[in-house]
Amino acid sequence: MKFGNLLIAGITTGSIYAMFAVCVAVWYRVSNILNLAVGDFAMVGALGVDNLYRVKGLPLPVAIITTLAVVAVFAYAYDQVVLRIAQDGPRRMEGIVVTFFFTFALSFFIDGVAKMLFGTDVHAAPALWNGASLTLGSLNFERAGILVLACAVIIGGAFWLYIRFTLAGKALEASGENSVGARIVGIDTRQYRRLIFVATAVIAAVFGIIESPITGYTYLSGATISLTGFIAAAYGGFRKPGRALLAGLFIGVLEALLGGYVSAEYGDTVMYALLAALILAWPQGLGFESAVSG
Amino acid sequence: MSAAASTTEKAALTVTGLSVAYGNVVAVHDATFAVAEGDACAITGPNGNGKSSILMGVTGMVRRRGTVEIFGAAAKNGDVRWAARHGLTLVPERRQLYPDLSASDNIILGCYTWTRSIGKARRSDAYGRAVELFPELKPHLKQAAGTLSGGQQQMVAIARGLAANPRILAVDEPCLGLAEAVAKRVYDVLAQIHAAGTTLIVVEEAPRRALSLCNRRVEVRNGMAVSVRGDTALPEYTPGPDGPYPPRSTA
Repeated sequence: MKFGNLLIAGITTGSIYAMFAVCVAVWYRVSNILNLAVGDFAMVGALGVDNLYRVKGLPLPVAIITTLAVVAVFAYAYDQVVLRIAQDGPRRMEGIVVTFFFTFALSFFIDGVAKMLFGTDVHAAPALWNGASLTLGSLNFERAGILVLACAVIIGGAFWLYIRFTLAGKALEASGENSVGARIVGIDTRQYRRLIFVATAVIAAVFGIIESPITGYTYLSGATISLTGFIAAAYGGFRKPGRALLAGLFIGVLEALLGGYVSAEYGDTVMYALLAALILAWPQGLGFESAVSG
Repeated sequence: MSAAASTTEKAALTVTGLSVAYGNVVAVHDATFAVAEGDACAITGPNGNGKSSILMGVTGMVRRRGTVEIFGAAAKNGDVRWAARHGLTLVPERRQLYPDLSASDNIILGCYTWTRSIGKARRSDAYGRAVELFPELKPHLKQAAGTLSGGQQQMVAIARGLAANPRILAVDEPCLGLAEAVAKRVYDVLAQIHAAGTTLIVVEEAPRRALSLCNRRVEVRNGMAVSVRGDTALPEYTPGPDGPYPPRSTA
């Protein structure tokens, strides 16, 4: 049952990658900016709750709500100050600078602040669902992993319903596909950019909180998460949340299987080699070209 | 409709001293004209002379100087939504559809100007009429808009405009790149829309085609000046082989 357990572990981490990939893809679709700070919001969620609960002694629900509120307000303020000046002003910037630079800088900024506030040790938010891992036959289910999966399904499903069955969701898609056409029917694309940025920041923080008991976070953990989410989103051509989700799951499972069967030490190396080979072999099928040509 | 009678009619759109600039490039300079309710007004002139920019400025897609009144209410600068809610909807040049969304989703997003509820939008008269006007789109409504033919895309764009329930429909170069037969179909539909009581503004490079439909004309020249020949001084248009104007006037 080694395979089964590896598969479960892979799907758990994969669903996290998938969520971050979806966050990156959805926001890129709306704003044409890649959110390289999405993992840092997860880190702030995990370490923020840990700090408020363990160090400051606040009750856990208060700690969680406070952390999420701070993340939301910060994301909103960032959009209002930096992105508004960069994108909405009379001297609108375009191209690679906007696509990468502002969120890259944001990532470093958050890391720096987190280092001051939370220190450099490995911490984790307290487990929300305590107890030994559940077993079914010889399969092990970690409770945090089940929470992660459940959250991924709920949030992903809610988002799918929103896109599929509401006019606002369709307007969101439309503003990603054609911003001129969106403005013609009165869609405020800036409002959607703000909404999705704040929403993805909060979602990332939620996942940081529920996932951190499994892996533990330091102030530098964000970048790794962003990177994996970013790669999974790239496999979906950046603009296709559905494909990004599958790619995230695939990368998670691949990582677990390689770690278990090939080598725990060189698993990542082999994985990235495989991912690179896949892109070379099948660029169109993976949506890579649409990512490049926009 | 006689010229004298039309001056007493209610003005649907009044544009005074409209200027539009892109950076340092002035596209429209000091344009003044009016369109009465129930009119079909053509905006004609050679390419690159600012016809589309007039529509962009009037609808608020770009910032402008000067005043625009829609049914007597002063329009907010740069606010497309306000214009759409007060009855002026743009069917833009190059259609500007959402290529990955289905044709019906494209059309229903026209309703976004007046509702947030997809149920209300689906049940609305505006949406129903917009879809019914194009029976040839019926089998393609579930298809991604980007995979439709040019003519079908133009029809989707017009239907999206109608879903916004406009009192004035401004159509920018509706026949750009379309085959003659398709262009004729598009104009037939525009005539139908006009006959149903919607005020029309049509930007056209080819005045002959536009004037088969329109009873007014605003002529744009040199990117700077706009001469309003359509307003009251113009005799009533009678359809002829070439119309009262030569097909292409030289400068």
